[in-house]
Amino acid sequence: MSDGKRESTAETVDPGETAEAVTEDSPARDSAAGGPAPEDSARKDSPPEDSAPEDPSSPEDASSHKAAEKEVEKGTQEAAGEAGRSKPVRRGRLAAVIGVVGELLITAGLVLALFVVYSLWWTNVLADRQAAKQGDRVREHWAAGRGPGDLDTRDGIGFLHVPAMSGDDILVKKGTDPKELNQGIAGYYTEPVKSGLPQDQSGNFSLAAHRDGHGAKFHNIDKIDKGDAIVFETKNTWFVYKVFKILPQTSKYNVDVIDPVPKGSGKKERGRYITLTTCTPVYTSKYRYIVWGELVRTQDVDEDRTPPAELR
Amino acid sequence: MYGWIWRHLPGNVWVRTLISIVLIVGVVFLLFQYVFPWAEPLLPFNDVTVDGAAPAGHAAATALKGNVA
Repeated sequence: MSDGKRESTAETVDPGETAEAVTEDSPARDSAAGGPAPEDSARKDSPPEDSAPEDPSSPEDASSHKAAEKEVEKGTQEAAGEAGRSKPVRRGRLAAVIGVVGELLITAGLVLALFVVYSLWWTNVLADRQAAKQGDRVREHWAAGRGPGDLDTRDGIGFLHVPAMSGDDILVKKGTDPKELNQGIAGYYTEPVKSGLPQDQSGNFSLAAHRDGHGAKFHNIDKIDKGDAIVFETKNTWFVYKVFKILPQTSKYNVDVIDPVPKGSGKKERGRYITLTTCTPVYTSKYRYIVWGELVRTQDVDEDRTPPAELR
Repeated sequence: MYGWIWRHLPGNVWVRTLISIVLIVGVVFLLFQYVFPWAEPLLPFNDVTVDGAAPAGHAAATALKGNVA
């Protein structure tokens, strides 16, 4: 055994390939057993000799190993199947480690790609499904005449319609925790500044929703212009707001934008306002995008729930 | 790594392929169902409210309001 090892080490041309030398055991054993081995090992040794001048400086290079292996394989194909079987072991330990690291890196890349698929597609699928179910339930409650008067806060208080932003009606529920917002809805703030409600005599009805993923209900918030209509639908009333100011970028610490008299909107007196907040630029949460509207009129809901002129 | 897994799967090529597909689907399911929902709030992509801090830090956010004002 050790004889064979020493012999093959001496025969190997590359000085750094001690790992390879170990695998030379089996052909060496073959030669001890006789048969076609002497001829075989002679042929086997010659290819590395041939390939050595090509890259003598990089004995650790995996590709040169591979090239050498290929030639070895070619040379011994007819003679020794056994040598072919022991081929994978011939790659150095370093090459094996590099291979595993490479596979892990590829795996990490795939996982990150999957995360993008998850956040931009799958969360939308889930949230839209959930929001549609909840929205249907709210409408059923309304149709059945249940719920405490104008307000049913359990499943949602109503629907937001912003024709300039999206054709969907967006269910509005209480709270802006991720748990709520991830259901594909818009939430009205309970903190840090408590939101007013549309039917209040004065106050700021402040809403937040996702820009991307989880329904992405406010994705096209940048399509809203000054003067566009924002309509909030409750069981008995349409509240029609008109956008009067847009703040395309502000810090997330700027909580004054949802004050009852929102700071930065230009308004100085109390009134019936609506504030839409979401993150910007798209796909990030670096800043906040703010849209302010003011109530222009209300309209009673008729039997057919005919939408107000702004939505037609 | 993947070669090692492949060599340790039982059966012929078709059985191994089938098992591999099942394993891949299983891993994707685990990622979508548990890992990504867990990781998402830790990443700065989906924070839409103006509360000045992560959901865990509402008290800090409220305190900050005074500072900003």
